[in-house]
Amino acid sequence: MAETVIETKGLTKSFGENEILKGIDFEVHKGEVVSVIGASGSGKSTFLRCINLLEWPTGGHVLFHGEDVLGRGFDTTGYRAKLGMVFQQFNLFQNLNVLANCLLGQLRAGHKSKEQARATAMTYLERVGMAQYINAKPRQLSGGQQQRVAIARALSMEPEALLFDEPTSALDPEMVGEVLKVIGDLAHTGLTMIIVTHEMAFARDVSDRVAFMDGGVIAESGTPDEVFGHPKHPRTRDFLSRFRQG
Amino acid sequence: MQPRGFFAQIWYTFTAWGPQLAKGAGITMLIAIIGTVLGLVVGLAVGVIRTIPLGKHDGGPARRALLRVVNVILAVYIEVFRGTPMMVQAAVIYYGLRQALGLAMSPLQAGLLVVTINSGAYLSEIVRGGIESVDPGQDEAGRALGLTHWQIMRGVVLPQAFRNILPAVGNEFVINIKDTSVLNIISVTELFFVGKTVANMSYRFYESYLAIGVIYLVLTFVTTRLLRLLERHLAGPDSYTLATSSTMPDSVIEPGGTTMQDALRLRHANILTGSRRAAGGTQAKGRTNG
Ligand SMILES: Nc1ncnc2c1ncn2[C@@H]1O[C@H](COP(=O)(O)OP(=O)(O)OP(=O)(O)O)[C@@H](O)[C@H]1O
Ligand SMILES: [Mg+2]
Repeated sequence: MAETVIETKGLTKSFGENEILKGIDFEVHKGEVVSVIGASGSGKSTFLRCINLLEWPTGGHVLFHGEDVLGRGFDTTGYRAKLGMVFQQFNLFQNLNVLANCLLGQLRAGHKSKEQARATAMTYLERVGMAQYINAKPRQLSGGQQQRVAIARALSMEPEALLFDEPTSALDPEMVGEVLKVIGDLAHTGLTMIIVTHEMAFARDVSDRVAFMDGGVIAESGTPDEVFGHPKHPRTRDFLSRFRQG
Repeated sequence: MQPRGFFAQIWYTFTAWGPQLAKGAGITMLIAIIGTVLGLVVGLAVGVIRTIPLGKHDGGPARRALLRVVNVILAVYIEVFRGTPMMVQAAVIYYGLRQALGLAMSPLQAGLLVVTINSGAYLSEIVRGGIESVDPGQDEAGRALGLTHWQIMRGVVLPQAFRNILPAVGNEFVINIKDTSVLNIISVTELFFVGKTVANMSYRFYESYLAIGVIYLVLTFVTTRLLRLLERHLAGPDSYTLATSSTMPDSVIEPGGTTMQDALRLRHANILTGSRRAAGGTQAKGRTNG
């Protein structure tokens, strides 16, 4: 099996008295696409945010190529630059146009030349079909367009892994397809990805592995066929059946 | 020989004391402009410092402890200067520096200092509110890209905060035009001081004060309209053009005055030269204390 990029061991996270993550053991290998599914409030977002340290874990370990990212003196900022994140609410920089959104990280965190950064940004804007819109401000774009730009912005950093937190949940139904298509295409390029999603058909299609989160732990994990076709855990079965009805 | 009739008397005040009144109005505007601009610089610095994250994983313990101390000092500064009248502040600073420290400032210098410090206190809170009103998702997206707090502030948060606070800054400017009148307590020869002098020399109290009242109104009215124009200008165009290879911009990271520096530069240039595009605005509301 390919080398492990990200690994969590006994990861816990509490907000005050409230323990949201209760010891998560998880790993993703180079080139692997892992989907994380689970009920609302089960801690999926919190888990992703603990991986790139937008939230600081309460306990356990997060390892990046075997190195403890919670350790003293670890370069948190540099680490974040190596992980891309795509948010449910897009979070494009509102004061910058599309191209500038894809340049800021490259120029400030990546120390690339303007020409290099620009060429990289254009490559990825091209790939998500947004190259025409480089002059537009985020508020002038539809949700689907904004999310595609957000994906290009993350890709422009040429990250080692890309984290998606429900990338289509805030979109109008008619725009879900265009964004899923972009992500699906990326999944086949060998990019390492963790995708939190409620799109079960999509998860089944693109994932190498699916993890089902429940009550702050990963209750079940396996190939899409295993988890969707023959779920072992009763909670998984329950969740999936509710999902099919709902 | 004095004219008869109400309007004739006011007109007489203008014509007889025109140069003095004009000079007073000039000093009033000078103090209001410079005081507000410098106050904004102070307010930006204080507001930015007060929004530095102080979580357990932000910087070392020594740095956090230092920041806490600085924050307390800044909070006291803001409380004191928002909680006391500017007239008292002017008297204390002017006479205090002179008698306690032997530092003799001219009334004009002391006046500029007082308005700057006083506006700084108000604008600190406005800047802080402006920073906090920016969607936290903007900061998270910046952090997820590997940007530092300062890079996010400079490139993303402050430009957005600045847009949001511009009306409040304009409001502060208009307030300052009126409130510099309290500087007559330290004999700054601003408009009110001139009006008082004219009243005492001509024995035409009512007409003199009414005349400067009219001048204040013209100053604030014009300023408010100009500020509104500036705001509209900074809001930028509503449309965008689809790019073809020939229309791709050369400089894209800071398009059309969207960064803090651009906005400030524009602001300074226009206000200081009194150009037509200067300063847009807001209603001159009373200062809210506390
Ligand atoms: N900053 C916070 N402070 C306190 N509680 C929080 C915070 N962030 C998340 N929580 C709580 O943690 C729990 C898990 O939230 P999380 O957003 O991780 O769930 P999720 O699985 O992503 O749900 P959804 O599918 O609705 O996005 C929720 O009960 C939420 O209220
Ligand atoms: Mg979530």
